Amino acid sequence: MNETLKKELQSTFNGVEIVDIHETRTAIIVPSVSVPVVLRKLKESGLNRLSLLSCVDWIGDGKFEIVYILTSYMQNDDEYTPNDEWHVFLKTKIPRDHASLKSAIDIFENAEPYEREIHELFGVHFDGHPRLTPLFLTQKYEVPPFRKDFDTRQYVKDTYDAIPMVED
Amino acid sequence: MTQVKETAKNEVQRELEMYFGPQHLGMVGNFSITLTVQGDRIVKAAANPGYLHRGFEKLMEYRTWIQNFPLVCRVNVVEPDHMEMIYSMAVEKLAGIEVPERGHYVRSIYLELARVGSHLFGLWAYANMLGFDTVAQWAMYHRDLILDLFEALTGGRVYHIYIWPGGVRRDFPKGFKDKIVSTLHQIGGCVPDYDDTFFKNRLFYDRAHGIGKLTAEKAQRLGATGQTLRATGMKYDIRKVEPYAAYDTVEWEVPTRTDGDAYSRIWVVRDEMIESVHMIFKLLEGMPEGPVFNRPPNPLRWNIPSGEAYVRCESSRGELGCYIVSDGGDKPYRVHFRTPSYPHGLTILEDVLVDASVADVGNTMISLYVVAPEIDR
Repeated sequence: MNETLKKELQSTFNGVEIVDIHETRTAIIVPSVSVPVVLRKLKESGLNRLSLLSCVDWIGDGKFEIVYILTSYMQNDDEYTPNDEWHVFLKTKIPRDHASLKSAIDIFENAEPYEREIHELFGVHFDGHPRLTPLFLTQKYEVPPFRKDFDTRQYVKDTYDAIPMVED
Repeated sequence: MTQVKETAKNEVQRELEMYFGPQHLGMVGNFSITLTVQGDRIVKAAANPGYLHRGFEKLMEYRTWIQNFPLVCRVNVVEPDHMEMIYSMAVEKLAGIEVPERGHYVRSIYLELARVGSHLFGLWAYANMLGFDTVAQWAMYHRDLILDLFEALTGGRVYHIYIWPGGVRRDFPKGFKDKIVSTLHQIGGCVPDYDDTFFKNRLFYDRAHGIGKLTAEKAQRLGATGQTLRATGMKYDIRKVEPYAAYDTVEWEVPTRTDGDAYSRIWVVRDEMIESVHMIFKLLEGMPEGPVFNRPPNPLRWNIPSGEAYVRCESSRGELGCYIVSDGGDKPYRVHFRTPSYPHGLTILEDVLVDASVADVGNTMISLYVVAPEIDR
């Protein structure tokens, strides 16, 4: 990772932790309140593209980890630079109960469907999102279905075993 | 929605809400769009995915690393091969498995064949939608020839599970190289016919020119990749940006166009198919001898060290990524696929449909190369 950016991030924001995962992948762990400002800072410093917004349910710690995977489009129009391979995982942990986070749509417009998906499948609320309506599912579940405490096997048993066979 | 607005001619035009799909002649796949229209103009479009949501990513958390393959390749029905590749790449990254050199070549050739097959399928969908039935039938026939190749190589026509962590399941059978060359020559010989009847056809030009236009700036802002981005002039291709398999061993060009409309996108697809065929010939020539598979440990007792990875490859629709987390167990802790149709079918489609005509909805959607199962997962 770019050393100057590393130092700048650590000196500007409180509680920033930077870990190099692979040669071209760096994780930046920040408290949830600083996500928008750090995202904006990273975007200004060249990581102009949000590849993926994901969520991991660490049920043992009672936390959701929201992961913003950022990279850049090509910096030169014709030349490929090693910098184009570089990805940053901006991660933040939020409590599982009443999970909520500020929406990133004003920084990366394409975050909209991803946030909608995470809201639906994990039950994380994104403040400032214009339409947190269902994306994939047709019914409401007591426990959002992608959480670790949603028992898929039990759900299948309850739903499909309850369908009676056709009588002769 | 029965708001009444006055037009310039003082005619009263109502705003109506209209459901386009999933049962609609202009809709390909399990997808629907809710359109707010005023006369023939679209005021607002809202995409409704979910008709094929199978919760694969959740189901994968209940299956071992290898048991997940049949699920993975069903994420994108049209081109399962890149799904196998991305999942294998992710597992290899986490487990630290190397692929033999010949394995990389075989993978590249296999993936390029898959790209040509997938593009021909896309061409079928597009030509069929616009009423060019002859071209559609040709494309379907030529795709079938590629499927014959896959059948000879893997035993399966559509779903192959040929790529495994550590390489590919088996080497090319005897005489397979010649089979690839003759099939590709047969398909390549028809390019002038395709050009005359479709790509350079005035009727097609008039129908596709200016449809679903995107500027380079907007395409980037909304997260476009693949043809959608390359049709706006940017040479962004993961095979060049972050080379994997054997793509950095041969010389090849990234085709681009500058108009950013449906016509440009389909031309990028056409040029890409031709480039893929040339690339396959070069790869076949430079292919080294040796093993193709580094056998991974016993799949029933395979624990992968805890960690996380994000890998990506260029599928025939754009950037396909996989974010994978392992907690050190024999099953993935979390898998999340970044599929190219997700931004194309949700963010971009909703944006470019505004102010379009109702007759152009299917046209725009297919030109963006949206495959619904990939969005739903």
